[in-house]
Amino acid sequence: MGELTGDRAAEVLIDTRVDTMGTPLITLSGELDSSNVESLESTIASITADRPERLIFDLSGLRFMDSAGISALIGAAAKVQAVQLRAPSPAVRRVIELTGLSDVLPIEP
Amino acid sequence: MAIVAFFLGLVVTAGFALTSLRLYDRNESRLLRLRAREVSSVLTAVVPSIQTPLASAAELADATGGDRRRFQLFMAPYVGPGRQFASASLWRLGTSRPAPTAVVGVAPTLASLPEQARRFFAHAERSQLLNITGVLSSPSPSLGFEFSTPGSTHGFAVYAENPLPRDRRSALARNSAFSDLNYAVYLGRTHSQAQLVVTSLHHFPIRGRQASQSVPFGDSAFTLVVTPNGPLGGTFFESLPWIIVAVGVVISLAAALMTDRLARRRQYAEQLTGVLDRVAAENHQMYTEQRGIAQTLQHALLPDALPEFSGLKVSARYIPAASGIDVGGDWYDVVAADDRRVLLVIGDVSGHGLHSATTMALLRHAALAYAAEECRPATVLAKLSDFVNSDDHDYFATVLCALIDVEAHSLTMASAGHIAPLLIDGGNGEYVKFKVNVPIGVVRKADYEETTVSVAPKSTLVAFTDGLVERRTEILDAGLARLRQTATGQRLAPEDLVETLTRGLASTDHNDDTAIVVIQWEN
Repeated sequence: MGELTGDRAAEVLIDTRVDTMGTPLITLSGELDSSNVESLESTIASITADRPERLIFDLSGLRFMDSAGISALIGAAAKVQAVQLRAPSPAVRRVIELTGLSDVLPIEP
Repeated sequence: MAIVAFFLGLVVTAGFALTSLRLYDRNESRLLRLRAREVSSVLTAVVPSIQTPLASAAELADATGGDRRRFQLFMAPYVGPGRQFASASLWRLGTSRPAPTAVVGVAPTLASLPEQARRFFAHAERSQLLNITGVLSSPSPSLGFEFSTPGSTHGFAVYAENPLPRDRRSALARNSAFSDLNYAVYLGRTHSQAQLVVTSLHHFPIRGRQASQSVPFGDSAFTLVVTPNGPLGGTFFESLPWIIVAVGVVISLAAALMTDRLARRRQYAEQLTGVLDRVAAENHQMYTEQRGIAQTLQHALLPDALPEFSGLKVSARYIPAASGIDVGGDWYDVVAADDRRVLLVIGDVSGHGLHSATTMALLRHAALAYAAEECRPATVLAKLSDFVNSDDHDYFATVLCALIDVEAHSLTMASAGHIAPLLIDGGNGEYVKFKVNVPIGVVRKADYEETTVSVAPKSTLVAFTDGLVERRTEILDAGLARLRQTATGQRLAPEDLVETLTRGLASTDHNDDTAIVVIQWEN
């Protein structure tokens, strides 16, 4: 998991809004890795400062996420009562299953 | 280079200037010829004004039998200052000593030159029509004209004379249409100085550009020579070659300066390239050194050599990321738990760099310490989890803990988020199916379950970190399938299998560090 992506310039787009139930919804698209995970971490930090109960991550537009991205999601899960992932790609879904994170990062049915 | 550019510029300039000069020259000559033709047409127009009164007077004299009074009356309006002639006279032909019988105006000069008069009239009798005397030089220069009627019965000739300016000079008025020219008019068809009638020039012979035209006049002709007193096509075309030379020299100088500057810049760029090459070489050396340091540190944090275990063959390797100048967070340990059992620990701390590497070292030694107290995998992981959660942290780690009973051919495992190992029995390879719990450091109170599976004789266990199977462009299962295929194709000794997997990894641009542990039952 010690990823080194210095020569790859990944790009991630982060969109933040609140859904009809008042739950913060963070939509990620593009590629998320150690080179750009900091922008996600600062977004999470500013949202969790308001102490919401839940957080939803919409991953439908995310093509790739490495362990640094998983780490950021785990960090978010530690700060709120529940985190939910919406529409992750099969690759992301498999990583979560194989690393025993299904309970920490539950995927929306 | 600059000098070459300068001379090249000068040569081109000279070429243009010469071409311009030649064009100017040709143009001026052409213009002069046109001007000469214009002047000659004016001269041609003068001829009738001389011939017509003389012809009419000759006709009258013939008809009146040389009546002097009638002749004088007829010629009077043509003679005098400002008129056509200075003198007009009537002569009888066919005598040995010709003399005027009637005179209007001043006495004719020819009358005082008997020998010349005799020859002139003898010639005039034969040729008839208009005859010219040539320039009479004595006592004052003049020009005489004679006309006798063709087929005359009485033999009369009318003779008129005009004085010429003493030095033959007559300047053209400044506002004349021909003020841009100097001219010389000769009697006859040659430029004989003796026959010069009138000119605007001071010096002879005429030098420089000139054009000549002849105008028939009686039995002779006027020959006109014109020469320009300035450029006919305007002063611009005259100065054009010089303008070209001036501009050309300036451009050549500028080109020389520019060439010089470019040459200097090029030299500078070459020096700069040399410097950059050196910097690149130094960078490469520093990178190599740093990579060397990172790997040395990494290997210092990992076990030097694995101990030997009876009944098992073990091989392990740590492979840094392809681009890695950084230390990673992967580790492994294979230690004897007691006489019959061996404990395998393999793990991966998230992130990279010194922070991950030191965390890895901490976890590695903590795991070994907990294993020494109680070697059950689930217990080791639970204690590790409590240890990590006892302080603030910003990382997580996946850890696989496996207790191998060599003689009992059994394997007890627990996983904290770590990918299950591959167990190979003969030609079959399967990833061990068991519950994978959350990684270390993710939740405060984590429960870890352990599973025991029995192992067929001569089985091989392949434990690894995700760097071996994870590729950016594919799902994890594809990497797992590739590993299974590589590992089960043939039964390899642990070292050989590790080598094969390492080589397979090198062929891809792996950007994550990787740890591999292969354990094989001898029986």
